[in-house]
Amino acid sequence: MTRTSLTARLLAGVVLAQLLLAAGLVWAGIVFTRRQLRHAFDAGLEGRLMSVAALVRYPEAGPGLVFDASLVPPSRNPRFPAFYQVQGPDGGVVANNFPAEVALPAAGSPAAPPWRFHYRGRAYRGLVQAHQPILDTEENLSGPRAELTVYYAAPLLDLDEEVAAAGVAIGATSLVLLLLTSLLAAWAIRRELDPLRELAQQAAAISPRNWRFQPSPETAATPELRPLIAALERMLARLHASHEQQRAFMADAAHHLKTPVAILKSTLQALLRRPREREEYLAAAQASLLDVERLEQLLQRMLRLARLEQTSDPWAAAEARPLPPTEVGATCQAALERVQPLARARGIELRGVGLEDGHRLRADPDDLELVWVNLLENAVQHSPAGAAVELACAAAADRVRVRVRDQGGGIPAADVPLVFERFRRGADSPAGGFGLGLAIARAIVEAYGGSIAVEPQPPPGATLTVTLPLEPFHERGSPLQREVRAAFLGKKPQERDPNRL
Amino acid sequence: MRVLVVEDEPRLAANVAQALRENAGYAVDIALDGEQGLYLAQTAEASGYDLIVLDLMLPGLGGLELLKRHRASGARTPVLILSARDEKESVVELLNAGADDYVAKPFDLGEFLARAKVLIRRGKGHCTPVLRVGDLEVHTVERSVRRGGRAITLAPMEYRVLEYLAHRPRAVVSKTELLEHLYDFNWEKFSNVIEVYISGLRRKLDDPFADKLIHTLRGQGYVLRAAEAAEPPATA
Repeated sequence: MTRTSLTARLLAGVVLAQLLLAAGLVWAGIVFTRRQLRHAFDAGLEGRLMSVAALVRYPEAGPGLVFDASLVPPSRNPRFPAFYQVQGPDGGVVANNFPAEVALPAAGSPAAPPWRFHYRGRAYRGLVQAHQPILDTEENLSGPRAELTVYYAAPLLDLDEEVAAAGVAIGATSLVLLLLTSLLAAWAIRRELDPLRELAQQAAAISPRNWRFQPSPETAATPELRPLIAALERMLARLHASHEQQRAFMADAAHHLKTPVAILKSTLQALLRRPREREEYLAAAQASLLDVERLEQLLQRMLRLARLEQTSDPWAAAEARPLPPTEVGATCQAALERVQPLARARGIELRGVGLEDGHRLRADPDDLELVWVNLLENAVQHSPAGAAVELACAAAADRVRVRVRDQGGGIPAADVPLVFERFRRGADSPAGGFGLGLAIARAIVEAYGGSIAVEPQPPPGATLTVTLPLEPFHERGSPLQREVRAAFLGKKPQERDPNRL
Repeated sequence: MRVLVVEDEPRLAANVAQALRENAGYAVDIALDGEQGLYLAQTAEASGYDLIVLDLMLPGLGGLELLKRHRASGARTPVLILSARDEKESVVELLNAGADDYVAKPFDLGEFLARAKVLIRRGKGHCTPVLRVGDLEVHTVERSVRRGGRAITLAPMEYRVLEYLAHRPRAVVSKTELLEHLYDFNWEKFSNVIEVYISGLRRKLDDPFADKLIHTLRGQGYVLRAAEAAEPPATA
């Protein structure tokens, strides 16, 4: 599923927010304008009411009051005229142009709120004020001073139009501003996404020849990108290490294959340079066959090691293949039997200790046996004739420990970190070895989540210790792998003690 | 000619030695590790190996270190490296450390022998595989000898004595030097063996011709030179 670009979505968000803002502004503007206009309208209403009242005069003779309707200003819209009614002190109507259907409220206080009514479908707003004085000269006064009650009403038509105009003005301005700010936002978003583009470029430039991943300081300092950058860097470091491991293995392998091939080639070339006796051909053919067998053995071991190193690779999915529960002691026993001929030939006694305990762990028995065989062969090859090599098996609560002890010359302190490196051969190693046995042992042990180490001890002799967890095979792996596995198996990884792995 | 082969793989060392003995007629000593190789190279230095064939990957003292120490002691013996490494940097490092040539494993035995012969004759100041002294021609590739255009058949040891003398014309070569360069250290050194070969050479090379090439300096050794000393310069 393709998703809309981040820029478009951010921009859509910004525009939406701005639209809401603009709508709010228009609404608030209309309400406010309306209120202001209504105040102004009411003020105007009062003024016009008073000017109507001012048209009432005392007659030049006689009682009553006179109203000059011709002086009332004409309505702007004759269809919806302003209405007025003036009542004298006695309640008599002095002037009126309210249509009959409009009911007038009772006269209240001067501060009485305006009232509303509809006339011909149009909203009207009216005002009533009692105790309005008659603004006439005293000379004309022939009776007592009278007070008037005045009703005045005008249509709200103009008011609504003005409010609508204000709304349109605010709305239009908002839209123009919205357009401008959207452009600004689009530009800013594009600019802010530059670090992402930079990261993509950097990532694209990475190859087996170029492992450099160095985002610019500004990019690296972006808080949102820091986790991504850190994750990329970790991933690259692991890939680089894995790649280097592969490369080193290839180089080592090529190097160590060349000498056996050189032997074979030179034997055959020397043989063919001149006619030979039958015996010479036979001897050379037999020697060459041995060379080929040795080469085959070397290849098999190298491939085995390569596969093991592959599976201990953090990316290789550690598929939980079903493994049988294997008795450690039994594999030790089998290994002792396999190494017995070599030990006998070199006059070395093999001893097994604690092999009947019956500790079981999920593992391929051939794998375990190969580990013990390699350790035992190594010990036998470094022991003087008449010495003993001991293989001892013991279990703690959650792990099994196997020790192989010899009485040879021991391992110089400087060589201890190197003994498990592939193709590494000690100074006293017998000719014909490949230097792969301990490397294979380590790779297998680590694939099962265990560890292998040289125990510090005073000379003579050396002790190599293998520790394997008794937990099921699939429990191993990185914390992330365990978490993923736990998610599939429905277990919580926190329930397990992390020290057990 | 006497060659030292320093190689930790016994089978490869044996094959190289066999090829050098059978196809070039050289005496060959084998050292199976660096220490032994350095010891042999330095103790035999007084008389001198004519070539050292050196493997790089040796247990203990490595080939490169051996080469450096050997050169540091002032030795000028040509060194031919056998190595499984073929990266450019290591070749450059080797040549800079004093190696004269380099063969990558697995090598071609014929090419290896040719390079070995080149290094030996270059070490003695010759450019071509044909050595000339007067009207004598020694073909080191075919291992054949002609004098005055006539092919002369020699026994293998006679040829080896003559080839060594022809590599160093006009120089006095002692009996001991001949013994040291023609036999590997396993062989017994009987000085009268040399006298037998020299008399055989005289009979085949000098007797049919008027001018003699092989001269004896009593108490010092032998010299191979043309009577008028007018042969073309050896370095031509």
